[in-house]
Amino acid sequence: MSEIAAKVPTKAPTKAAAKPARRRLLASRLVPYLLLQALIVIVTILGLRLLQPSDPDDFALSDFSAREDGLIRPVTLPHFTSSRYSLADPPFYTGAFTFRSADAASGWSVYLPRFSNAVEVAVNGVVMLDSRRDANANRPDRNTPQIAAIPTSLLREGGNEITVRLFVWGPLKGFLDTVYVGPDVALRPAYETRTLLFVTLPVVFSAWQSILAVILAIMWLMRRHEPVYGVLAAAMVLGVVQAFAPPPVPPAATSRLAAVLLASAPIESALIVVFGVLFFGWRWPRYGTLLFVPGIVVFVVGLIGGPPLPRILFLVLGIPTVGLCLILMACITATAVVRRQDAASFTIGCAVTIVLVCWIQDMLTVLEIVSNDRIFVSRLSYSAMLVAIGAGLTWRFARALNQVDSFAGQLVTRVREAEERLKASFAREEERARAAALANERTRLMRDLHDGLGGQLVSIVALSERGHEGASITDAARAALKDLRLVIDSMDDIGGDLMLALGSWRERTTAQLRPHDITLDWRVATPQGVPLHPELRPWHVIQIVRILDEAVTNAVKHAQARRIAVTIDTFDAGQGPYGVISVTDDGHGFAPSGNGEAGRNGQTARGLRNMRNRAARCGAVLDLSSDASGTRVRLQLPQRFPDSDMAVG
Amino acid sequence: MTEQGETGEIITILLVEDDAPTCWRLQDALVKAGYEVRSAGTLGEARSALAAGAPRVLLTDLRLPDGHGIELIREMRQRFPDTEIMVISALGDEESVISAITVGATGYLLKDAFPTDIATTVRDLVAGHSPISASIARFIVRRTQGAAQNSAEPPPGPVLNTARLTPREIDILWGIAKGFSYAEIASHLGLSKQTVPGHIKNIYRKLEVHTRSEAVFEAVQQGLIKL
Repeated sequence: MSEIAAKVPTKAPTKAAAKPARRRLLASRLVPYLLLQALIVIVTILGLRLLQPSDPDDFALSDFSAREDGLIRPVTLPHFTSSRYSLADPPFYTGAFTFRSADAASGWSVYLPRFSNAVEVAVNGVVMLDSRRDANANRPDRNTPQIAAIPTSLLREGGNEITVRLFVWGPLKGFLDTVYVGPDVALRPAYETRTLLFVTLPVVFSAWQSILAVILAIMWLMRRHEPVYGVLAAAMVLGVVQAFAPPPVPPAATSRLAAVLLASAPIESALIVVFGVLFFGWRWPRYGTLLFVPGIVVFVVGLIGGPPLPRILFLVLGIPTVGLCLILMACITATAVVRRQDAASFTIGCAVTIVLVCWIQDMLTVLEIVSNDRIFVSRLSYSAMLVAIGAGLTWRFARALNQVDSFAGQLVTRVREAEERLKASFAREEERARAAALANERTRLMRDLHDGLGGQLVSIVALSERGHEGASITDAARAALKDLRLVIDSMDDIGGDLMLALGSWRERTTAQLRPHDITLDWRVATPQGVPLHPELRPWHVIQIVRILDEAVTNAVKHAQARRIAVTIDTFDAGQGPYGVISVTDDGHGFAPSGNGEAGRNGQTARGLRNMRNRAARCGAVLDLSSDASGTRVRLQLPQRFPDSDMAVG
Repeated sequence: MTEQGETGEIITILLVEDDAPTCWRLQDALVKAGYEVRSAGTLGEARSALAAGAPRVLLTDLRLPDGHGIELIREMRQRFPDTEIMVISALGDEESVISAITVGATGYLLKDAFPTDIATTVRDLVAGHSPISASIARFIVRRTQGAAQNSAEPPPGPVLNTARLTPREIDILWGIAKGFSYAEIASHLGLSKQTVPGHIKNIYRKLEVHTRSEAVFEAVQQGLIKL
């Protein structure tokens, strides 16, 4: 398909050039395959010849007189009789053997390696073996041997008579292979060999087939989109039913069942073709369903009409269908081999060839073109093929699982690699973020030092240059020291607990107020103080502490307060808690409007503007009220401190 | 006016400070308060001053021209266990104060403290009341948290063994760190106000690492060193 698709856009000359190339490819692939198949054909034929079970020729009885249709004539076994549809008056073979009791250390037996379809054996007129009782022994597609011990009391010293009645049901001709009579020890091994090959082995194969059928059916049930498993399971189930269901012996009451069993072979083979098509990934053609018609016809006719019609139909329709299916299968695998050149197509191709050879051999046997004692091998080889295919499929399934595993392994590796890359990039990102944070911190520190300490030191220099003495320089230097402590203190990680910063501030402020003889009232309304703020950054702390410092400085310097009260409280208006810090003094206050002594009020106004500015940068709200009885600065903290500086201008 | 100890004798102070103006300032404040003050500008001077006898109080700066005040504190603790030791710090930063405490100091004095405060601090120390600042308390309690979290790398700053602090002592430190007064802490924790300063001194003593081998033992106990 892909080759055709690839060729569509190419031009005519390329097409012409592609054709010989393709032919060359075909030849280079098909010829070796066909040679291989020829080799397999030869090996199979040789193998069949070699595997032919040998019988103890010393005890063979070949010369019989046969009475068929009232006509008695001498025959030499193996012997074919005409095909017949009635069980009445079966061909009757009479032979003789010599028994000497001196030789009879062990018991004697009569051994029939192959007959078709059923036999009744009598020695000296006493029936001692009737194979009709063993339904499986009479199946023409099995090569079941029979052995029976001859009771010693029946044997006469010298000449004995053996008679065989051969029951035949058409359309196949009746067949009686050489009969062996002799010591049981001599006959038994040959019988065991044949039983092993033609009875036990098929049962073993059928057992495998049934197990594989279950496995494949489960696979199909779990993977409905792969009908190939279901098809093969169905074929195997049919094979198993066919192998284990007892075939009806005429005149069977359940002749309907016979029809089902007969129909199984063509349906099975058609299923195998479906499997082949699906297995190699082709679409099942709609007209391909016609392949099932012969089997269904046999089935329907078997259900409607009694025997022997289904058997005749089976011979006419079923067996050729099997052959057709095998040839189709051979073609399919050959195509697959040419296209895919993989182990699966090679293996299945070889298996199909072997089965095909066996089928041809059986056909030749039926048509009496070759003589091999009428041993049918196609069923056996077919079972073997099914088992091989089933095993192959299971193997393929396991390999697919392995691929999934290795894919999962690759996936894990890939994910790990991706994870590592991600980690590395995350680390880079983190490094960058850390560097940025460090730079920010440095900038902040510079600004804080510049804002406070720098200005104060410059002021100290200016004061000393102008020859000021004592108090003013001391104040400026103390302010500088205080600011330095504040900046250093703010570097410490307080884990979002503003109370820790306020604690240090209280301590410093108390020390600062002590010489002025001003009391600092400290009231924390809630046990915890203000709520925790994980997002709290040092620059927030500095702004807040500077606001409080400014408020205290104003109270001391300009309001002549005797008492300053700091109240820390937490409120919750339903949108989460927020802290409020109030600084109240009992000084004489100031007029917020700003008229009065220009110098002092100008300074106060600047201080107030600074405070508001700082509060705004932290997202806090500053509230100022002042009258003659005192000043109250109320700082309402935000519920969440802003990440970036909200300073305006 | 002469400041006297419990037994009545004059309290002697050895002041070790290399910056002359600071030294004068402190000495003035202490002498004015009635203490007998000997001053030294270097480690060597301090040691020779000690030859004349042990002072009741040692006040020392950490950075000295011929060595570190820590060495002097350690020597003092070994030779004169009864001497109260205070470190003089410019900023009262945790780094210097805590490292002094771990070798045996039980107090600190800010260089810019007002003269009255200087005298009061020394008097309190002799009376068994060690001073502590909110930031130092904060530093110690944050170390107790760090030890509980068992973090892989030790936090920066001096090594501090907080394992021997009792929950009560840690509560007191928390109160100080958050700016509560001794009276407030005492009422919160159901203590008498007078016992809080004594607790502080106990805390300092527990943070002290006495010998080198003990330091190693503590480090092993805390999992800082793996043997």
